[in-house]
Amino acid sequence: MQPLKIDISGVRGVVGETLLPEMIVNFACAYGTYMKSGKIGIGYDTRASREMVKSAVLSGLISTGCDIVDFGICPTPIIQYMTRHLKLKGAIAITASHNDSNWNALKFIKSDGTFLNFYEGEELLDIYHQGEFFKAAWDRLGRVSEYDDAIDIYMGRLCRYLQPGKIRAKKLKVAVDNCNGAGGRATKVLMDKLGCKLVLINEEITGVFSHDPEPTAANMEQLSSVVRPIKADVGFMLDADVDRVAVCTEKGVPLSEEYTFALLADYILSKKRGPVVTNLSTSMMLDDIAGKYGVKLVRTKIGQAYIIEQMISEKGVISGEGSGSVAVGDFQHASDGFLAMGLILKMLAEKKKKVSQLAEMLPRYYMVKRKIKCSPEVMYSAIEKVQDYYKAENIDLTDGIKVAWKDHWLHIRASNTEPLVRVLAESTSKEKAEELCDTAVDRIKAAI
Amino acid sequence: MKGRDVADKKQSLKIGISGVRGVIGDSLSPQLLVSFAEAFGSYVRGGKVLVATDTRTSKDMVKNAVFAGLLSSGCEPVDLGICPVPTILIRTKYAAASGGIAITASHNPSQWNALKFVNKNGLFLNANQAEELLDVYHQREFYKCANSDMKKIRKDDGAIDFHMEKVLCRIDVDRIRSRKFKVAVDCCNGAASLVSPAFLERLGCRVIPVNVEPNGIFPHDPEPIPANLKQISEVIRSKKADIGFVQDADADRLAVVDENGDPIGEEYTLVMAVDHILGKKKGPVVTNLSATRAIDDIAENHGCKVIRTRIGEINVVENIIEKKAVIGGEGNGGVIWPAVHPCRDSFSGMGIILEYLSGSDLKISGIARNLPSYHMVKGKTYCETAKAHLVVRKFKDLYRKDKPVLLDGVKVDFEGHWVHVRPSNTEPIIRVIVEARTRKIAEQAYKKTMKDLAYLLKRS
Repeated sequence: MQPLKIDISGVRGVVGETLLPEMIVNFACAYGTYMKSGKIGIGYDTRASREMVKSAVLSGLISTGCDIVDFGICPTPIIQYMTRHLKLKGAIAITASHNDSNWNALKFIKSDGTFLNFYEGEELLDIYHQGEFFKAAWDRLGRVSEYDDAIDIYMGRLCRYLQPGKIRAKKLKVAVDNCNGAGGRATKVLMDKLGCKLVLINEEITGVFSHDPEPTAANMEQLSSVVRPIKADVGFMLDADVDRVAVCTEKGVPLSEEYTFALLADYILSKKRGPVVTNLSTSMMLDDIAGKYGVKLVRTKIGQAYIIEQMISEKGVISGEGSGSVAVGDFQHASDGFLAMGLILKMLAEKKKKVSQLAEMLPRYYMVKRKIKCSPEVMYSAIEKVQDYYKAENIDLTDGIKVAWKDHWLHIRASNTEPLVRVLAESTSKEKAEELCDTAVDRIKAAI
Repeated sequence: MKGRDVADKKQSLKIGISGVRGVIGDSLSPQLLVSFAEAFGSYVRGGKVLVATDTRTSKDMVKNAVFAGLLSSGCEPVDLGICPVPTILIRTKYAAASGGIAITASHNPSQWNALKFVNKNGLFLNANQAEELLDVYHQREFYKCANSDMKKIRKDDGAIDFHMEKVLCRIDVDRIRSRKFKVAVDCCNGAASLVSPAFLERLGCRVIPVNVEPNGIFPHDPEPIPANLKQISEVIRSKKADIGFVQDADADRLAVVDENGDPIGEEYTLVMAVDHILGKKKGPVVTNLSATRAIDDIAENHGCKVIRTRIGEINVVENIIEKKAVIGGEGNGGVIWPAVHPCRDSFSGMGIILEYLSGSDLKISGIARNLPSYHMVKGKTYCETAKAHLVVRKFKDLYRKDKPVLLDGVKVDFEGHWVHVRPSNTEPIIRVIVEARTRKIAEQAYKKTMKDLAYLLKRS
């Protein structure tokens, strides 16, 4: 079976295999029907398939009578911000985020700039499956207008939020790996406003990414080779739609993507106390940081929609995931790579420490992440079979299987976005984390 | 339901050899359009595919669906924007493209739209090619392009100028300019809206534009028949124009109105064009079975022969090419001047007629008066599709002695008149056309034919 995922994250598939224009039109019609006309924003990342997907989305939305505001190539957090700013009824972000360039996806956004939640996603899917879409008459069809100022408006707002006086004074040098994604132009505007000297790599829009766009330590080889020779204060790696960021130290050492959220949680909580929201798979560093400031840590299922929903209901000051996504309640309820970069630069400017030093100050754990390729039709049953091995332990079945011991934990779950089973373990010792993962991987493989 | 209602209902989607046509908000959905574009992209096996629209309000919905389907099937869409149908046909031939898709429902009302498919030679798909495309569509195994091979949409703003030059370089621009004609032109807010005024100005005309807002909201039924020409007639009278032109929504058909505001009749657009072109260059004329006998008379005057074809633009076009005709077309105002391109082209039509007028001492009404005069009566009778062919066959038997022509339905030529009876390809009706020297004879012959058909219908 070819990879296609239709769920709370939207609809994701491989272009030319499963993500075909008829299906995209149907989803756009379903969304237009669900929104009952009104203005809908659209934006997309830089994948070569963007025009195909965009055209299909436009056609579907127009046919349901929705007017469209086209933001062009635009990072997802900026689409989310503009949806609220322009009081749009909703938006569709056309991006498969950190997936490889042969993928693409639709992410459905509602008027407050957040993604559809679980129940709203279910409603949309019901309309999609029923296939009875609203059909506007010839004189009630939607109209398309292009909107070019999104990046400037958003950056103006972000800079007011950051109050960048101290950053500007430091004249920091920043290396950013744009991974040929949607963030190039916006990153230039941001660094210019922050008075930083920017070295931007993989800026070009090539339609095919020059390396795996998932911001992980393993994918920062190119960035880390640049940081030292140019004497940058920090390096950032963005994914294709800039909802995730990974950090590289001034020494050219890629930090685990777990550090982006941990660094910022520590920084934000030092200024403002309040609940922290993260998912089940994120590092124990967060338990320690929340403990240090005496605030509540809420853990949810994996997926931005779950985290953001909890953040809103718990009035969280910050939320994020170990994948490098961070949202700050005061700014917007969305994972935002520009905000994350801005705040890390502000932290550097204020604390007068190097990134490597700030990272060293965090509690130290070892996390191991493994992926097992797995056909969607056996994925969930395989996970269920493995459950028996961990029956006697402290087990949490909110999202796959999470087993927690005193100094380590193990999490086995189905990916929301790809036909993969993810196995993660974290421990105070590297050997223990690896042992937990290896055993789990063997058990999953046997179950498949 | 009455016959008419059934016909309307059946007519809301038509997938056939002339493309796919339907009503927006009803049968012509983006899903259907995407699939057709994918079928076409798979059929032409990638390469450049030109895309143009008329001005209908649904143009963006349809165009985006077409883009998505073409990109997904590995084609490179070239966006010509709003432009006349002859323009995209001509551009496709010279752009080294694999084909083209014209998004227009021609003379249908505003709520309709359609895809018309163009081959790499700039001609609409013929019956065989259209069958092949339909097979690809129905089999639904479209080529699926991967991300790394996906093309981008290109824009092409030069198609209209290219088309205008092709017409202008074949007519005597200086002579037309010297006459400084005052010309009213009604573009029906269609695809010619932004083109015709500029075209006529290049011919030194003082232009009175009527309905040149390219908004797709048609101020009158866009079929250029006399009943729809009241507005321009008044403009001609009040502004004292020398001539008036009326184009349909996609600017392939042309009707002419004289300096008194009287419509000359769309049948006579082709007659005038044939007279003028044969005066410059002798050669065969091609038209369909239903076009006026005035064409035969004119051709005879010039010592040229007329070749009659089945109904349908592509049949006329293919015969024009095969027989190396110098001029041809249809009685619905569709002038085909192969020197420019073998397609119906209202700009060729305007150019030819203005050149004719510029070389004559007569006004346009005088030119029209000198043409052989015939009266045509067109009508139809409802008849189930299953029965229609049987009835028409019996009609043929009835007139066996008069040597009927069986190319398309039955055409019987009598001494002073002719009768053409043909089952419609698209509706449950039989079409009847009668032409005679005088109105009286035409009406008598029409009545007789209808009586024959009623009798045969009852017995079938």
